[in-house]
Amino acid sequence: MDDDHVFKALADPTRRLLLDRLFERDGRTLTDLESDMEMTRFGVMKHLRVLEEAGLVVTRRSGREKLHFLNPVPIRLIHDRWIDKYTEGPASLLANLKNALEEDE
Amino acid sequence: MTTTTDPATQVYQVFIKASPEKIWEAITTSGFTVRYFHGAAIEVSPERYLSHGPDGATWGDGPVFEYDPPRRLVHEWRSLYDADMASEQPSRVTWEIEPQDGEYCKLTVTHDQLGAAPKTAASVSGPGWMFVLSGLKTLVETGTPLTGTGLPAGVSS
Repeated sequence: MDDDHVFKALADPTRRLLLDRLFERDGRTLTDLESDMEMTRFGVMKHLRVLEEAGLVVTRRSGREKLHFLNPVPIRLIHDRWIDKYTEGPASLLANLKNALEEDE
Repeated sequence: MTTTTDPATQVYQVFIKASPEKIWEAITTSGFTVRYFHGAAIEVSPERYLSHGPDGATWGDGPVFEYDPPRRLVHEWRSLYDADMASEQPSRVTWEIEPQDGEYCKLTVTHDQLGAAPKTAASVSGPGWMFVLSGLKTLVETGTPLTGTGLPAGVSS
């Protein structure tokens, strides 16, 4: 819900790796993710919790298992808030310049 | 070792500062959807989910399985805007709106039963639903849509 949590969650290479793993194959159990990481079960669990608090991972129960899903929406919101703002200005200036030059021809 | 995964399901979540009624309206009425859902005019009744592109083409037309305003909506999904995807098996979309503390609602979108629809799954994953939900949040919270076309892959403006 808040940008601080997302930035904090993304500021760790292990957590970014976990997100990449879910990007490759979504909806995985802790045991399955753990097999892909050189880390203890407890370590993976701890990182998943931070990702879940930031809203980057959403969990769903499926029978007796808890599946972890990548939720990229908070990253998109950071993009909207921080990237669009800075790319739009120069891009529109160039578009205006192009229009002005082409009108002169 | 268990290797259980569920690639036939995608889950997306976003917190929106608005009432459940407002979010429900934004999901089910075309006046809102054209401004954030890839330009699609979507109308949802208790029976039917209908989506039309800007040129009037049918982008979606399927049954509604659950209609419980302003909390829960479940409908069939078929990507009719692309011939390859349209020929795949239908999948299912569930919208859940849960009020939170502090005027926020948690909106969860679960797109499942995608096992027999790999092209559709690839198309809606990542930028697909992500763009729709971030656009929905921005529109409902600010009254102004995001910039950019946000058209789904395979659709030209």
